[in-house]
Amino acid sequence: MKKLSLHPLTWWIWAIALAIAVIRFDSTVFTIGCVGAVAVVVFINRDNAPWGKSFNWTLKLSAWILLVRTLIGVLIGVPIPGTTLFTLPILPLPSWMPGIRIGGTVTAERLTSALTEGVLICAIIVIFGAAASLTSPHRLLRVLPVYIYEFGISVVIATSVLPQLVSSVTRIRQAQRLRGQSLRGFASWRRVAIPLLEESLARSLDLAAAMDSRGYGVSKKRSRYRPIKWRATDSAVVFSALIVLGLS
Amino acid sequence: MIKFSNVSLIYPNSTTTVLEDLNLEIAEGEMVLVIGPTGSGKSSLLRLINGLVPHHTGGILAGDVSVDGHSTQLVKPGGMAHLIGIVGQNPANGFVADTVEEELAFGMETLNLPNDVMRKRVEEVLDLLSLAPLRDRSIATLSGGEQQRVAIGSALVAHPKVLVLDEPTSALDPIAAEEVLSILHRLVHDLSLTVVIAEHKLERVIQFADRIVHINGAGIANIGTPEQILMNSPIAPPIVHLARALGLKEVGVSVRDMRRLTADIREREFVLVEAVSSKSSDIAISFNNVSVEYDGKHALKSVSANFFSNEIVGIMGRNGAGKSSLLKSLAGISQLANGSVDVAGFNPQNLKGKERRSTIGFIPQEPSDLLYGQSVHIECDQADRDNQIPSGTTAQILNQLVPGITGTTHPRDLSEGQRLGLALSIVLSSNPAVLVLDEPTRGLDYQAKKELTKILIEFARATGKCVVLATHDVELVAELATRVMFLADGDIVADGTTLEVLLSSPAFAPQVSKVMAPQPWLKISDVVAAIEAQQ
Repeated sequence: MKKLSLHPLTWWIWAIALAIAVIRFDSTVFTIGCVGAVAVVVFINRDNAPWGKSFNWTLKLSAWILLVRTLIGVLIGVPIPGTTLFTLPILPLPSWMPGIRIGGTVTAERLTSALTEGVLICAIIVIFGAAASLTSPHRLLRVLPVYIYEFGISVVIATSVLPQLVSSVTRIRQAQRLRGQSLRGFASWRRVAIPLLEESLARSLDLAAAMDSRGYGVSKKRSRYRPIKWRATDSAVVFSALIVLGLS
Repeated sequence: MIKFSNVSLIYPNSTTTVLEDLNLEIAEGEMVLVIGPTGSGKSSLLRLINGLVPHHTGGILAGDVSVDGHSTQLVKPGGMAHLIGIVGQNPANGFVADTVEEELAFGMETLNLPNDVMRKRVEEVLDLLSLAPLRDRSIATLSGGEQQRVAIGSALVAHPKVLVLDEPTSALDPIAAEEVLSILHRLVHDLSLTVVIAEHKLERVIQFADRIVHINGAGIANIGTPEQILMNSPIAPPIVHLARALGLKEVGVSVRDMRRLTADIREREFVLVEAVSSKSSDIAISFNNVSVEYDGKHALKSVSANFFSNEIVGIMGRNGAGKSSLLKSLAGISQLANGSVDVAGFNPQNLKGKERRSTIGFIPQEPSDLLYGQSVHIECDQADRDNQIPSGTTAQILNQLVPGITGTTHPRDLSEGQRLGLALSIVLSSNPAVLVLDEPTRGLDYQAKKELTKILIEFARATGKCVVLATHDVELVAELATRVMFLADGDIVADGTTLEVLLSSPAFAPQVSKVMAPQPWLKISDVVAAIEAQQ
């Protein structure tokens, strides 16, 4: 299937509309369906570029959030009456913390409510992650006005340095493995973090210096070499998301 | 065009001045080369020209730098964008767009040039730098040489009067470096562009330079023609060292000059000194039908060879020929699509911890990837503990390799050469059976390279071990390798003794052999030995 070439703002508007729709529907089935649809769109349409690959990280991250969120939701909180699944020992808390309970009876209702909330949060993360991986940050910057200069520079640095971080992590972990260091546990991440921080800092400074020396932000007006036009396909994509929003 | 008047520069929290009372005037259409040891302030000098120093980096500047009458004290770097194009040490860090064409246009967009002017200039630059076939390519997919050309192109589109380049060829293979430099040469002559360039590999640039600024790191700068400066400078390309070794009164800066000066020496009759080959028959590394694929592309196509102990193998080839892939498969960190690797009896894929350390020592392209301690001292202690060797052993090795490093220094504050030395001593402390280095001379000055050569030869000779290194540095290979393997597009295209392989390819021949052809000499010591044998 041919990739759509869209205006950089299109996918962001699309994502915002979908996110609002998901919140308004508040139905787990719809939310999961929406995430599925978004994932399909990303896998068909994403560029073979660092930001395109970032979607996998988004998925992993949201899976973690779902897990942690559900665990906490089940362990801590107000008991919801219903079918008892199993009972955990209750952690005794001091008397000045009334209403909070750690452990206790876990009911099916409590589990579902924790899961539903978790799914909703993750869906929003996935939807915005999709917009980020479908849009080239560089193209996005080009449609943003120049007067948000400082913001523009930070956006470029953040968006171009972050994807490079992923490749740097791989490279540094490889080197550490060659030094015969274990790659497990907290200590291994500390060993990666220091060279990584150093490198990304140097990289960001380089980029800022390069943009500065090429006159970025000096002239308040900026011409366009190849103006990015809003096309019918852009309207169609936005319209489809708006229909979903309207139905909610 | 560029005027430094009484310029002194000092960075905060530093006790040494980078530059002291520098006076320098660079005329239009001049090509000036800045040389000096690593950390001597070459980059600072270059970045003073458009005001990145001190506007961007801090530091106290006395005196005045002005370009075409604009003082950097009054105008910020952005305001100089139409006048000065600057290409950083690592151009990939400075790209702001996705495709070649957009990257070229970026600088003109910020200068708010009308659309028709931009179109015309982009086409001009695409033609000038032979980038037209790449115009729609994503920058991330370009090779190092192509990226360097894009970076130069995006500096040129604004039609600057001055072009400043910081080590433009350090990451490039000899052929790509040649391309970039000849483009610069043409710009200087056709457009009367003023070019200021810093470079370690003098053998590549010296013939193009009109003048040299030699800074020594303690604030003193010598300025003069290449012949004047190189006569006495400790930093000099191999041909100048050759001229000194032969006792010539003049120094030539190009192969052509030197061939004229040495015609009589070449014509003498020489007895061929048969090199004593001490080739060992112990196989240190053996690999069979190794193939590696990335994203469906073949990085290595079924290559096989044996490396023996006692050998120093130089892996050469153009950017993207598969050198790093080969080293990574030897070290067991890339997935093989096919084939097998055996290092000292082990499959490197399965090695872990101490066993790995005592089998393969690997220095990656960025030696700092191996380092994570807060000081040199902590790094050395960690290595001692890891290898269960007496405390202080690693520090001792380090002191042998690069003397004079304070233990409390943070590894980040070391120079490139010192950092490589630290990584090397950590790797050597576990006494590995084979040593593998990926591109070790990037950013190293001649002094550091000489040290490295000594260490590696020592390591291979004294302990009879195998060293494998991938590099673009022909001179380094000529100095130390006993065997050269030449890769192209994932295949081994040549494999033999250093002499055979290097002499058969003009682009990859060292300077001494170019001067002395048809005599089969690769390095200065060969020449001296042959002349002495004759007398």
